[in-house]
Amino acid sequence: MSAETSKYLGLFVSEATEHLEALTADLVQLEKEPTRQAVESTFRHAHSIKGMAASMGFAATAALAHRLEDLIQLVQRDGSQLTRELGDLLLSAADALLADVRCAEKGEPIATHHELEAKLSAQLSLLSSASGRPHTKPSTPPSRLSRVGPARRFAIRVQISPSCQQPGARAFVALKHFSKLGDILELKPAMQELRSGHIPDGVLSFELESPADEPAIRAALTSLPEVELSSVVAQKKSVWGQQQPAPLSQPAANSSDNSRTVRIKTELLDYFLETVGELSLATARIREIGKTLPPPVQPTLEEGVGRLHGLVKDLHDKVMSARMTPLSTVTDRLPRAVRDLARRRDRNVELVVSGAEVELDRTILDNLSEPILHILRNCVDHGIESPDERRAANKSEMGRVAISVRRERDRVSLEIEDDGRGMDGAKLAQSAVAKGLLSAEAAERLSEREALMLCCLPGVSTAANVSEISGRGVGMDAVKRALEELGGTLELHSQAGVGTRFTLQLPLTVSMVNLMLVAVGREIVGLPVAKVLSALELPASDILKTGEAGFLPHSKGLLPVHPLSQLLGFPSGDAPATRPYLVMEGDQGRVALAVDRLLGQEEAVLKTLTRPLDLVPGLVGVTILGTGRPVFILDVPRLLAT
Amino acid sequence: MPKRVLVVDDAIFMRNMIKDIFASGGFEVVGEASNGVEAVEKHKELRPDLTTMDIVMPFKSGIDATREIIKQDEHAVVIMCSALGQESLVMEAIEAGASDFIVKPFRAEDVLAVVKKVLGEN
Repeated sequence: MSAETSKYLGLFVSEATEHLEALTADLVQLEKEPTRQAVESTFRHAHSIKGMAASMGFAATAALAHRLEDLIQLVQRDGSQLTRELGDLLLSAADALLADVRCAEKGEPIATHHELEAKLSAQLSLLSSASGRPHTKPSTPPSRLSRVGPARRFAIRVQISPSCQQPGARAFVALKHFSKLGDILELKPAMQELRSGHIPDGVLSFELESPADEPAIRAALTSLPEVELSSVVAQKKSVWGQQQPAPLSQPAANSSDNSRTVRIKTELLDYFLETVGELSLATARIREIGKTLPPPVQPTLEEGVGRLHGLVKDLHDKVMSARMTPLSTVTDRLPRAVRDLARRRDRNVELVVSGAEVELDRTILDNLSEPILHILRNCVDHGIESPDERRAANKSEMGRVAISVRRERDRVSLEIEDDGRGMDGAKLAQSAVAKGLLSAEAAERLSEREALMLCCLPGVSTAANVSEISGRGVGMDAVKRALEELGGTLELHSQAGVGTRFTLQLPLTVSMVNLMLVAVGREIVGLPVAKVLSALELPASDILKTGEAGFLPHSKGLLPVHPLSQLLGFPSGDAPATRPYLVMEGDQGRVALAVDRLLGQEEAVLKTLTRPLDLVPGLVGVTILGTGRPVFILDVPRLLAT
Repeated sequence: MPKRVLVVDDAIFMRNMIKDIFASGGFEVVGEASNGVEAVEKHKELRPDLTTMDIVMPFKSGIDATREIIKQDEHAVVIMCSALGQESLVMEAIEAGASDFIVKPFRAEDVLAVVKKVLGEN
């Protein structure tokens, strides 16, 4: 890469990566069903990579991409199904190309892919001999213009520059220029050879029958690079016929995807959001200050602040919508992942994705691919049975995993459903009891749904034998945690022998949160409203006391009471006679949080914590109230766990 | 007045590279298109002195786009952006009305030499 091309590196990396990801998705699609569209799109991506890599001077990458392109072209011609072996080979080539791009990104040298290229070449010759023909297009000479008037015949020799990279095409251009003057005869090399690019010594000779005079013929090539007219010799006259030029028009195709877009760095989007958040905080601050001003000036300020608030809100909405990215950026990579997982486990699995056009904030998307992959791994590894088992169970050998995405008001629901063997809640409960995570009595009281959620506890698994201990369950706790950090939830439904459904509920955006503000002693803290199931005020006498522990009677039974001041380690004053309780979902079931006062709800800009505050367990983030007071936002399940 | 150029390629990367080459040669890039359909529309709208056309693109190939552009304006100058292994496609494009071609990887001086020659600027 020269200094000249280095400035394109960033763009090369991002665009090449996109092409390769799309290429991979196309290849997986091809393996499933070779549609013409998929073949063409595959070819285009391989082709783009080749051109870009060559332009950057990454010869090894360009060479590999070229082989890949050749092979895809052959598939395109044959219209044949991709065999698994061929699919593997093409995908490994795509992987190698992606590795090249990563090397380029890091400024590391790119090694040639001798072995892979050899394999591709071997496949190429195998396939082309099988299809029994080197491809040739039907030959039509360049279109000729009809002329009237006496024609003379000229013997013409043209020299094509040895440095010309595509002499066949160059000869073609030259002939086109001459054909405007008349008819071309006695062409050497013949059109067939010319089309294959074979021109010995770069010499083209032919006779031209034309009414034009010699200077006009000599001028024919003046606007052409890479060719020289070596001789023009006038011959004796002859008569020539007329020929109509071939029709050039073709029906126009329409495209729906013509919207104008620009690329923008994601950091810049983050900055916009942060700034617009600051703007709304500053607006709230001005409004607060306004309240302390003498009454006569208040309405004027209030009006201005109101307008400012409206503008900032509008700007915020626009920034948010600019950050919305379709879920397909995550799901497009999944067919490949499922294919590889299934291959490793000798399963036949089909992934069906619907609703991938639903858009989410990119912060959420960025953090969603790991959890989704994890769930898919669970589905393929433990949900979908082996083909034998499936046959025995009267199921189709092809297992099916469906991802469906729906927008539901201000949330997105993402379901991942397999048609495998299902999960056994009772077994999970047993496992949890065996691990000492749950008492036997508690296990008995669990509903089926609650039992299934046990797989989200670290170490709980239905895996029957030790070798599978790394199986289902491990990692689901991480999945649940990751979703909750995004403000989402995870639900499980399962039916033995029928399958398992994971339902992910996600907010569209993460940065604004609805907070319940509560007072604890002299402090104010915020709780995400989404996590608060209900709020109620009760006299102390309604709380059942068992030693130190208190329980709140609730429709679902008794909920353990946790005074928030204790959880936070704040000094607790005298407990008031009647105080509010917030019912919230904890990892071990519902709990009631005792607080001193409810201050109300507020929509707030969530700011993530930086070192060292992010190390404090139980804090989600911080927001700044209109009064300028910073308020911590609590992660109750984590607070309870510490 | 500098000659006006329309750059057609589905890769932003290639477009930027081609744009820089033209800028260095004193041309004015007046428009870009990322597929064949857009190319035909932009050509109609901008009537550039010169169009560089990638061959393999989504929605409509560079060859079909060239054919339509020439139908729209028979004097349109379209230069195909070819690559290794695309010689037969270039020939097809020439038949469809393209004036000339350049071969990737592009070197600025080669591209400008071809373009200037085709526009009769030497």
